[in-house]
Amino acid sequence: MEIAYFLGCIMPNRYPGIEKATRILFDALDIELKDMDGASCCPAPGVFGSFDEETWATIAARNLTLAEDMGADIMTECNGCFGSLFEANHMLKEDEEKRAKINANLAEIGKEFKGTTNVKHLAQILRDDVGYEKLASLIEKPLDLNVAVHYGCHFLKPTAEIGIEDQAENPSILDDIVEITGAKSIDYKDKMMCCGAGGGLRARDIDVTASFTKEKLDHMTEAGVDAIIDVCPFCHMQFDQGQTEVNEKYGTDYAIPVFHLAQLYGLAMGLSAEELTLDAQKIDAAPALAKALGENAK
Amino acid sequence: MSIIDRLKSLFSEEKDMEEKNIADKKSDDVGAKPSNLDDAIVSGTKTSVPISDVLKKDEDAASEVTFKKDVSSIEEQRVEEDLPIIEEDEPSNDEEIPKEEEEESDVEEVQEIQSAEDAAVEDDDETSEIEEDVPVEESLDVEENTSSQEEDVNTDDEEESAEKADDEENNQNKDEKRDNMTLLTDKELLTDANRDPEFTAEFIDAGIETVKHCFQCGTCGGGCPSGRRTPYKVRQIVRKCLLGLKEEVITDDALWMCTTCYTCQERCPRSVKIVEIIKKARNVAAHAGYMAKPHKMTGVFVINTGHAVPINDAAKSLRTKIGLSEVPATTHADAAALEEVKKLCKITAFDELIGYDEATGGLKE
Repeated sequence: MEIAYFLGCIMPNRYPGIEKATRILFDALDIELKDMDGASCCPAPGVFGSFDEETWATIAARNLTLAEDMGADIMTECNGCFGSLFEANHMLKEDEEKRAKINANLAEIGKEFKGTTNVKHLAQILRDDVGYEKLASLIEKPLDLNVAVHYGCHFLKPTAEIGIEDQAENPSILDDIVEITGAKSIDYKDKMMCCGAGGGLRARDIDVTASFTKEKLDHMTEAGVDAIIDVCPFCHMQFDQGQTEVNEKYGTDYAIPVFHLAQLYGLAMGLSAEELTLDAQKIDAAPALAKALGENAK
Repeated sequence: MSIIDRLKSLFSEEKDMEEKNIADKKSDDVGAKPSNLDDAIVSGTKTSVPISDVLKKDEDAASEVTFKKDVSSIEEQRVEEDLPIIEEDEPSNDEEIPKEEEEESDVEEVQEIQSAEDAAVEDDDETSEIEEDVPVEESLDVEENTSSQEEDVNTDDEEESAEKADDEENNQNKDEKRDNMTLLTDKELLTDANRDPEFTAEFIDAGIETVKHCFQCGTCGGGCPSGRRTPYKVRQIVRKCLLGLKEEVITDDALWMCTTCYTCQERCPRSVKIVEIIKKARNVAAHAGYMAKPHKMTGVFVINTGHAVPINDAAKSLRTKIGLSEVPATTHADAAALEEVKKLCKITAFDELIGYDEATGGLKE
């Protein structure tokens, strides 16, 4: 099996440990991740989608054509990229009028959207294409961690279009995948709430974004977790860097380490904090790592 | 799984009720009885029946009416109290009985759906007719009634006195009591001159016909994480988009307080594509020049690098350290690909939209 690997912006350009972990994970799963040479920003649904639908769809369609030319489906591990690419792919497959308009634009750079690729999320592939049994066979160091799973918004929703089998308001896909590593998913208040970064809000009004994030952190703290697990580098950045911003604005001292799902699997497969670039994140992961691997370190 | 089943049954109950209301409305059109209570419930804006009547009846029906669970009891109560409606309700009550006998139910259901669809079509037509005929002030007045009554629901005394008071006094009371949850005030009555039908048409043309389906229940705002902390009132924005209040929508900073989290859209009982409406309204705002500088800068980054968040030195050294290529195999490593992105941004005039200055690689000004 091979798949076109869409990197996006924040993962390769801020948290490369997520990319590294994903490449090692998929090596172990015997799935070839093929680079989409020349791919760009998805582009961000909340920003480009909010400014000019045509530009958003045109740039997204260009990315989609790269995978079409490779004859492969696309995998992304960013909810924003997933939302953008899935939505554009869906729209252009369904709406002939818009497709004609976008293809007229793409013709100027010698490309054409054909509608021959599918856009999939990392977690969706792990559950539906890989399977939990195979995932479990990869675990070398079961992790002793209580974690708050954060789904993010553009993964399962809007359910009417996305069609990943689960419930948007009470899902289980991520909790199931996380618990295979030995970590325990702890329920917490308003678990499905947004991190606050999306829709261009972080860029425009960081105070409001921080207020969202603080509410999430409050609830996670009440539940007593060792770490936050996400499947979106933008949420990841918001919980990591944003956590320090919350502390500055509110005088709090939150210090909950943040792991992308791929990083969590990297840990369970025995990768070091350095390989996962956890040592470069704003929130110190060392306490959680000590707990997670404590028994195995003996 | 039992929770899902329960929810499903609740939703189907709600849908049944909705269909009945539509059916009532349809027969009502024929029977020319403009003050039907169901009209007030469905559209919430198009009749002059005091909502207090409706609410009071519901309260009488069961002292602890919870919105969804007791739909059936409300229904029964209405049958008892409201003789004229009995005749109209009976056929639809009959329809429910065969549903339990599965053999015949399919045919029945198809008919029911068909008639509901017909009714829906008529509903749309009727709405547009009314919107043309009835002065805007009237429909907005009723909306104020709705919200002021929402505040009053729990105080019987106030409710009764409000009923006795004549319209003008009533309005004054409301002005005093009104908080900023209300869409409009009497002092700022809107007329057709305030409306821009082309603005509404933009949503329809963009394929968001569901903007017309909103009945202003407020479920969207109730679940909105932004509305808890900002002036962003999603229900109002949807209403304003439908009424064509373009300037109010696009000049309001609150329009940009949505994180596009889809909670509203997932919960909307009318399946209105709310996030699409918000994004479309933002498109109109952006093209009218209402765009924040940080947003423009995100656009600048994409034109200059192909990435909204471009690589930096720290990330380069991290990548090298863990054995990845120094820059990812994206537009960062492919000048020709970056040129394609730039060209596309020109073709769609995105560069002009954000005020991109090619000479400096920044914003004009």
